[in-house]
Amino acid sequence: MTMETTAAPQAATPNRSFLRDNPSVMWFIGLLGVFTVIVTVLSEGMGAGVISTNLVKILGMTLCLCLIAIAMDVVWGYCGILSLGHFAFFGLGGYAIGMWLMYARTEIVIRDNLAQGAIPATEQEVAEAVASQIFGVVGSSDLPLIWTFAGSLPAQLALVVLVPGLLALLFGWLAFRSRVTGVYLSILTQAMTLALSLYLFQNDTGLRGNNGLSGLQNIPGALDVPQAIISVWFFWASAVALGLGYLLFAWVVSGKFGSVIRAIRDNEARVRFLGYNVDGYKLFVFTITAVVAGIAGALYYPQAGIINPAEIAPIASIYLAVWVAIGGRGRLYGAVIGAAFVSLLSSWLTGGGAPNVDLGLFRIVWTDWWLVLLGLGFVAVTLFFPKGIGGLFDYLVRKKP
Amino acid sequence: MLGHATAQDASGSPLQDVLQTVQADVANPSRSTVPAVLGALLAADAPGTVDFLRAWSDREVYERPDDGLFFYARAAGDDLTLIDIDNGAEIATVGTRDVNQIRPNAGVRREIGAALVAFELTHPDPDRRIAALDAAARSPEPDQIAAIQAARATETDPAIADRMDRLIALLVARFDQDSATRIAAIEALRGDVSTPARSVLNQLLQTRADFAPTLPEDVNVALVKTPGEEITLAAAYEVLVAAGLAPAAPGRNAIRDALRANVVDGAVGGVPVHQLDNDASRIVAYQALQDAGTLPPLVTEADVAEAVAQYVFFDVYLEPDAAVTAAAAAAQAATTTKVALFQFLSLSFDALSLASIFFLAAIGLAITFGVMRVINMAHGEFIMMGAYTGYVVQTIIPNYTASLAVALPLAFAVTFLAGVVMERLVIRHLYTRPLETLLATFGISIALQQLAKNIFGTQARPLTAPDWLAGAIQINDLVSVAAVRVGIFVMAGLFLLLLLYILNRTRLGLEVRAVTQNPGMAASMGINPDRINMLTFGLGSGIAGVAGVAIGLVAQVTSEMGANYIVQSFMTVVVGGVGSVFGTLAGAALIGSLQKGIEWFNPTNTLAAQTYMVLFIILFIQFRPKGIVALKGRAAGD
Amino acid sequence: MMKKTLLSAVAFTALTTAAHAQAACPIKVGVLHSLSGSMAISETTLRDVMQMLVAEQNAQGGLLGCELEAVVVDPASDWPLFAELTRQLLTVDEVDVIFGAWTSVSRKALLPVLEELNGLFFYPVQYEGQESSRNVFYTGAAPNHQAIPAVDYFIDELGVESFALLGTDYVYPRTTNAILESYLLSKGIAPEDIFVNYTPFGHADWSTIVSDVVALGAGGKQVGVISTINGDANVGFYTELAAQGVSADDIPVVAFSVGEEELSGLDTSRLVGHLAAWNYFMSADTPENEAFITAWHEFIGSTDRVTNDPMEAHYIGFNMWVNAVEAAGTTDVDAVREAMWGQEFPNLTGGMAVMNTNHHLSKPVLIGEIRADGQFDIISQTPEVPGEAWSPFLTESATWTSDWQTLECGMYDTATSTCVQLTSNY
Repeated sequence: MTMETTAAPQAATPNRSFLRDNPSVMWFIGLLGVFTVIVTVLSEGMGAGVISTNLVKILGMTLCLCLIAIAMDVVWGYCGILSLGHFAFFGLGGYAIGMWLMYARTEIVIRDNLAQGAIPATEQEVAEAVASQIFGVVGSSDLPLIWTFAGSLPAQLALVVLVPGLLALLFGWLAFRSRVTGVYLSILTQAMTLALSLYLFQNDTGLRGNNGLSGLQNIPGALDVPQAIISVWFFWASAVALGLGYLLFAWVVSGKFGSVIRAIRDNEARVRFLGYNVDGYKLFVFTITAVVAGIAGALYYPQAGIINPAEIAPIASIYLAVWVAIGGRGRLYGAVIGAAFVSLLSSWLTGGGAPNVDLGLFRIVWTDWWLVLLGLGFVAVTLFFPKGIGGLFDYLVRKKP
Repeated sequence: MLGHATAQDASGSPLQDVLQTVQADVANPSRSTVPAVLGALLAADAPGTVDFLRAWSDREVYERPDDGLFFYARAAGDDLTLIDIDNGAEIATVGTRDVNQIRPNAGVRREIGAALVAFELTHPDPDRRIAALDAAARSPEPDQIAAIQAARATETDPAIADRMDRLIALLVARFDQDSATRIAAIEALRGDVSTPARSVLNQLLQTRADFAPTLPEDVNVALVKTPGEEITLAAAYEVLVAAGLAPAAPGRNAIRDALRANVVDGAVGGVPVHQLDNDASRIVAYQALQDAGTLPPLVTEADVAEAVAQYVFFDVYLEPDAAVTAAAAAAQAATTTKVALFQFLSLSFDALSLASIFFLAAIGLAITFGVMRVINMAHGEFIMMGAYTGYVVQTIIPNYTASLAVALPLAFAVTFLAGVVMERLVIRHLYTRPLETLLATFGISIALQQLAKNIFGTQARPLTAPDWLAGAIQINDLVSVAAVRVGIFVMAGLFLLLLLYILNRTRLGLEVRAVTQNPGMAASMGINPDRINMLTFGLGSGIAGVAGVAIGLVAQVTSEMGANYIVQSFMTVVVGGVGSVFGTLAGAALIGSLQKGIEWFNPTNTLAAQTYMVLFIILFIQFRPKGIVALKGRAAGD
Repeated sequence: MMKKTLLSAVAFTALTTAAHAQAACPIKVGVLHSLSGSMAISETTLRDVMQMLVAEQNAQGGLLGCELEAVVVDPASDWPLFAELTRQLLTVDEVDVIFGAWTSVSRKALLPVLEELNGLFFYPVQYEGQESSRNVFYTGAAPNHQAIPAVDYFIDELGVESFALLGTDYVYPRTTNAILESYLLSKGIAPEDIFVNYTPFGHADWSTIVSDVVALGAGGKQVGVISTINGDANVGFYTELAAQGVSADDIPVVAFSVGEEELSGLDTSRLVGHLAAWNYFMSADTPENEAFITAWHEFIGSTDRVTNDPMEAHYIGFNMWVNAVEAAGTTDVDAVREAMWGQEFPNLTGGMAVMNTNHHLSKPVLIGEIRADGQFDIISQTPEVPGEAWSPFLTESATWTSDWQTLECGMYDTATSTCVQLTSNY
């Protein structure tokens, strides 16, 4: 695990080690590593075949959700900004990588086809044929301007980081500059998410509207590799990203920087009077978490196989807040627990995995009642257990000494 | 026809006889064949023809496939009793699958209606006369002028007489033989914004595109199109190609296909195949083949210009009389400004209607969020709850007016209660933690939405307005407002007044303001803050419920309807200025008119309008964070 | 220890795959329809139909001597879940065929998985065409089954010269309108006489759009509306039409997404005379339809429930599949696929449906007028029309054709005589 050793010296203050100070980081990375190995060994693609490809994908996607939950925890639990827009950044990352996946795969198919012709195709013919393959299903055949770089993987990878980052930077700068705080900021971020999803819902946007981008699980250059193998690759990538993201944010929230942003959460005006550039701190946290959300999205959607604007709808960002609150705000592992617990429970209950409960007069069908339960459970957590599931660890730790 | 000869006595069934001569076209009527049938029937003039036509149009005629005969029919249980169309005698009782019900489509019915105009115009029933006039207006024909003029002479109902006059004027403008009469009629249409009048003018001004070597003298030219200005060179050339007067210019695909067909020994026209992956070398190859005479020549821009220059392109009026078209054009120009004005008015009414819906949806929030500073994300679900209350009441009380009268107060009561319960159980524990309130109410919102789905299903439920609210208030053909929207506007106004009255003129209002400004001080003055908070929250929620009933009348009742309004509602309150009822009004007006304005600019995409509206609001809040009506001083809080 | 379990797991998977190859009993029929979420209202009915058809088949002695077993899963109107559950059905439950999906986006989501794992899928809903997958049989209407005949009817029978194409902003209306625009232009309708508008899902504020349509009447031409408005938004749209007094005589509306099920909650007395185009109407007066409706009412335990077009599509699709399996003597996907070509089965509205080698059906096109009781008066019924996978009215697909029997390709370019690709676009 080289990443720990590289991260540790940077964080080390003269007489305290970052890792020794944050034993939870070691625990987390260790557990994640063990989990990754177990899943790999048991997977269908590379191991015993006990874990189906489907489950590997679900676990990989859950890791991505854990990553964005950590980001959400930093921006909300540590910095006090209840952002209802981070799933929008997540989606933007997915769209950026999805454009390349679609374009490159279609281009391979088209070049193969055109090569069969009596005379070779011009570049323009290739581009037109690709466009009509991608946009034929939405009644158009022109490649929109935003697809200019879709053929280039490095460019689209850069966009995974740049698009969410710049949007967060611009939005954050405008919002923090005019001192929009608290619930107003939440509503404003929600409006941003709504605007973005409405924008993407339009076919005129050039991202195939409601249909979104699909077939993302087929990786250009690895079209012959079975999904069983690809799913493990992405699982690894998600695990590494989660590990790195955890380290990064654990480092960010420890030390002086962490103290300042926690102080901003607790009393913004006082921190401002103490001479700190509050807007700068907030903007940094908002932007870096948005970038991480974008990366998480770029790893998530190739596993899901399809991205469309419904994924970006405001409700998704609200669920994100719900996960973090249930897991426990202000502690990174809490966010991970919340995201993993709630999203896996949700897919288990709505996927028909859970047996329905027959109460004689009344039958509880989980697909129907799960959301009611989640909503009410969430109210209960807010009212009675503000520390969430992560709060349980406090009891465990306190009992020891 | 063969069957008929054996089955029926020819002299005893004159109508059936005539019908059998056009049997196929009566049994399977089509708009293209029906004029011939009508002509034949009216010419034969057998007794009962007009009644038959009416019955035919009303789908009361049946065909017996065995012999092709036509019958009227009367239901007899699940079966049909056939009735002879000539003498009204009952023939037999048969099953529904033994005969074919003839179902003329709307186009055929329109033709039949037009043919019956002359008979119906003098019918004693005024409704039938109006229907006949409608039919004549839908399919105007020259010979209707005489028929309507004849009926006009005996018409006693002034309203119908007036319609006849207007219809005659329109018909004269379009069909009269005499140019001067027509021009006079057209002059009379000047400034008339009604749809029929404008459509007559448009029809008179219809053109078709044409071209000729020189501009012909004997046609009524509307516009001469200079290539490169009114018509593009390429389009003009296309016209010539279509007429076979110029060779088609091979496009890129045609060039490619031509080259593909001429590959010889791995090369085309001397250019090796592998080099043909760009347009330049393809043209070189093509020209080589063109020089060899294998392929037709490429068309250069100079060729196009030269070919186009040999012709004049112009639009011709279908109406040959230049004086008539000139008068029509003048009359049309005179109405243009008026039409634009009325269209603006119509758009304004739409904006007003949308604004009042936004206002109704947001006004409850103006209290809970604006006055109490409690953020209630379940507000949308209270709207939904109100709408479902209306739906349930409607399923119990079938009379729409009565059910509406019950639903409005009941919706208030239900959501008032729900609001109070929520305030007691959840919100009062969180008054000091606004972000937590936001999340907890989200949880409630999710649960309520799913609960509604479980109870009522996911299908949209209709909330039908009573008949007196179902129509439209028509100012003219351009401006009409659905009555239910006017009702909502009035309701929004009433709520505005009621709310202002409660907040400013009642003891409750005073106490509410006291508690929100300083709960501690208010409590020491003998006000019970708990009670006031509860009542205020209940009031805000109750209004949301009433809004739900109103919104359900224009839109659809679904479990997600609240979620559709919640973000907009918060926007309305925030844009307007938190804490001010007038602010909410201003916010709703701004958002409503803005959305309609953007829709007007881009009428093909309503989604774009919503997107840009939200974007605008985000920017607006950046620059005016306190909203339009910003409270100043202490009341502003923070 | 570990080694042992590993080994047995390997043996287990080997066993199940071997068993799969021999079409083991029971024969499993996957049913992939949303039972929760926004599409549940439409799709739950199709789940019920499938269960009814499976039960009926079992009552007749099953298939190839095996019981049929319906494996029902719930994709919850969540598009990625369609892909996930398709993989689960094919690899974990090992079903022999899947009937399912409603929206195009859900079909596009599951297509890659289906083609990767070589599954067999029946899609029962009218859709935008421009697709012909090796693994999918399309039993719903293609655009030339519904949209083109409806437009012909508008032009020929109603004399409509000015068209308003109103749709919800998603793939089906977009593609259908693109096809229709090009078709109308080819019919000599001027571009300025075609008004196109897209609205979001669940759109509620229809006053301006309806006014815009009414305003088209001032052009002096007969106006007609082609509606691809989907779902809930129809309630608001028809309410506004009625409120503004637009009768079917003035401005007829033909809808492609409004059937008996959608009208069942609506007060249709103000909509009488407006039109819908489908391949099936419940009001069709045939003995087959009467039997089907009776069976349905018995199965569901209520005589209030309506039947609709996608239900007939599943009825035809399921019976064709049963016949194809019997003809092939196995449930092996490739054998059944080949046996499907040319399968015939009687329509509920009369005549024979035929499965063509482009995986689309030949079906009659019906146009119905809305009656006050929420049913349709069938006023026009064509002979069987073969479904087109690729529209000749769109330039990019004008030269494409699909024939899985002779050309062995679903996207064959006749201009270059090559197969563009063997998989589908998703």
